[in-house]
Parts: sequence; C-alpha cells; structure tokens
Amino acid sequence: MQRTSICAAAVAATLLGLTGCETSPKADPLLEQARATVAQAEANPDVVKYASTELDRARKLLINAEASAKSKGAADKNTAHYAYLSTQMAHIAEQRAHEQSAVARIKAGETERQQILLSARESEADRAVAQARTAQSQAEQSQAESQRLAKELENLQASQTSRGIVLTLDDVLFDTGKAQLKSGAQRSLDQIAAFLNENPDRHVQIEGFTDSQGPNDYNLELSQSRADAVAAAIIQRGIDAQRVRALGYGEEFPVAANENPGSRQLNRRVEIIVSNGDKAIPGRTATGAP
Amino acid sequence: MITLNGIRNALWCAVAFGIIACASTPMPVEKLAVAKSSIDRAEQAQAAQFAQVELTSARNKFAAAQSAAEKHDAGAAARMADQADIDAQLAESTARAKQQEQLVTEMDAGLRDLRNETLRRDDSGAAPLTPTPATTPPRQ
Repeated sequence: MQRTSICAAAVAATLLGLTGCETSPKADPLLEQARATVAQAEANPDVVKYASTELDRARKLLINAEASAKSKGAADKNTAHYAYLSTQMAHIAEQRAHEQSAVARIKAGETERQQILLSARESEADRAVAQARTAQSQAEQSQAESQRLAKELENLQASQTSRGIVLTLDDVLFDTGKAQLKSGAQRSLDQIAAFLNENPDRHVQIEGFTDSQGPNDYNLELSQSRADAVAAAIIQRGIDAQRVRALGYGEEFPVAANENPGSRQLNRRVEIIVSNGDKAIPGRTATGAP
Repeated sequence: MITLNGIRNALWCAVAFGIIACASTPMPVEKLAVAKSSIDRAEQAQAAQFAQVELTSARNKFAAAQSAAEKHDAGAAARMADQADIDAQLAESTARAKQQEQLVTEMDAGLRDLRNETLRRDDSGAAPLTPTPATTPPRQ
C-alpha cells in the first residue's frame, strides 16, 4: 500500500512537472498559429523551391513576434501583430508556390502537347507512306492480273484481229440442235467475264454460226439462240447487258467448206469478239472470216 | 502667425492625405499608401472573384487604418495598414494561384482530348483501305 502511494505520488509529480514545463511559455494563440503555419510552409518542398523569399520574410516576422513576446509578453499588441503578419506571409509563400508549380506544370504540359502533336504527325506520315505502298502494290497486282487475264484469253485460242480479240467456242459446248450451254464452257466464260470486269471500257459481241445442214431459217434461229445463251451466261457473271450483244448468222461466214463432218463441225461455232478498248466492233463484211 | 501656420499645416496635411486631419504625431501616410496600392493590385488580379475573403479583410483593415488615423492613433493606423497590406498581398497571390491552377485543369483536359484523338486516329489508321486521315492539325 505504501509503495503504491509513493509510486502514485511520483507519477503525479512527474505529470505536474511535465505540464509545468509545457505551460511555462504560455503563448498567444496567434503566435502558436504563426509558428505552425511557418513550419508547415517550411515542410512544403514547393515553397522551398518557388517561394524562398516569401518564406524568409515569414520567418523574420515570426522572429519579430517571438522577440516581442519575450520582451513585452504574449498579450502585447505588437506580438499579436507580428504573429498575424508572419502567418499571412507564410500563406502568401504557399500561394506563391502553388502558382509557380502550376506555371511549371503548364510549361511541361505544353511540351507534352507538342510531343503528342509531333508523334501524331509522324504516325500520320508513316500511315501515308504505308498507304502509298499499299496503293502501289495494289496497282501492280491489278496490272499483273490483267496481264494474266490477257494471257489466259490467249490460251483460250483467242486471236487478235482488226475487229478485236476473237475467241471461238466450238459446238461441243452445245448438244445437237440445242441452245443450252454445256458445263465445259464455264471456265472460258468465267475468264471472259473476269477480263471484262478488269477492262470496263471494253464490250463484247457474241456471234452464232451453224453448218449448212438443215433449213436456213432454222439455222438462223439456232445460231441466234446459241449466241443469246452465251450472252446471258456472261451477263449472269455480272457484266452489264449494255456491253453484251448477241447476233445469229446461221450458216453464213463458214470457216470451212461444209464438205465432211470435220469441216462442218468447225462451222458450228460461237465466236466472242472483245472490242479493242471502247471502240465499236466493226460488222462482218461479205468476205467473211475475221 | 500661429493661425496662419495652423492653416498651412492643415492644408499640407489635407493635400498629403485627404481624409486624415492634421495631427501631432506623424500618421503612417506611407503605410496607408502601400496598403492601398496592394489592394489595387489584388483587385487587378481578380481577387474579388478568386480570393474574396482575403480581399474583404484587406478592405476592412484599410478602413480601420483610415479611421484610426482620423482618431490620431498612429500606432493602430500603422498596424491596420500593415495588416491590410499583407491581406491584400495574400488576396493577390491566392487569386493568381487559383487562376493558374484553373489553367492547369483546362490544359489537362485539353491534353486528355488530344491523346484520345490521336489514339482514335491511330486505331482508324490501322484498319486497311481507310481514306487518308484529315491533314488539318488538331485544334490548338
């Protein structure tokens, strides 16, 4: 019991001592505020960086306030006055730091803006170059494609004549007496349609022929029907009907003598004439073969 | 002679500081002038809009300094003038700081828009066969 009370007394004495120490420089709240505000400004790196002059002034005013408190007491008018000035000056230092760091950010932002614009322009230029390359390679591709098509037309035993490129489909593409196109003609027609697609200024004339067997009227009609069937097949492949013309010549303009089955077979044919560019296809003259 | 001196004094004082009557102790005419010019600068910095509390405090203290001077209280006039001056300085620096910070906010928004715009253009540019992007530079 005794020990406890001694202990308590010691604690109480210590506490008293502490509070005594604490309260001894009993300061005016304005002075306390000035100390705290100046300390806060000093702890702000922006203030140290951008507003050292203002911070120095605040410190000097605080020294004045402390001196006044020491000589005339905390309640003195001058103490309160200098404490107030010091507090306000520390706030001014902070505001000045805000302003200057904002100015620095604006400067940095302007640099960043220029950087963004520059890289945007660069990537725009890169894109333009890439697009030009793409366009060039597309042009090259389409040129190669049209050369290939021309070659293919050649392979279809097309021949270049004064009327245009002439391509002959023989009678194995039709059943006897029928105008229905057989599937063997599909590839040739695909190629002609592709060629016309690639060369939109060109047009075609389809001409149907028969041998001399059978009545003339029937042969005329059959040759017209076969030419029409070929024309329809080309139009079906996406070629404008305006660019396709079909004519039946019957047994006219034979390419062989009609003396034997072999020569008659040669005469049973459909010729496809592709115009030279956008020029009209000249009509057939009585002398016949293209 | 004495009356003449008094009149001359009064005139001189009235010229030096219109409102303050002639006094035995020298009035802090200079401090008042300094405070007034600080208030003017704060007003020019748009403190009325951005630091109204500080500016009002400066004006009130300036008025208090004037009335202390009228009552021939040189000490109070000097203190009030100094406080009006420092309040006006705080009003000015606060107004300037707020305006700069407003500019920073606007700039950040502008940068964000610019970044988004260039990103979008990069995206559209990546797609094949798009038409050439507009050559006009983005808004400044």
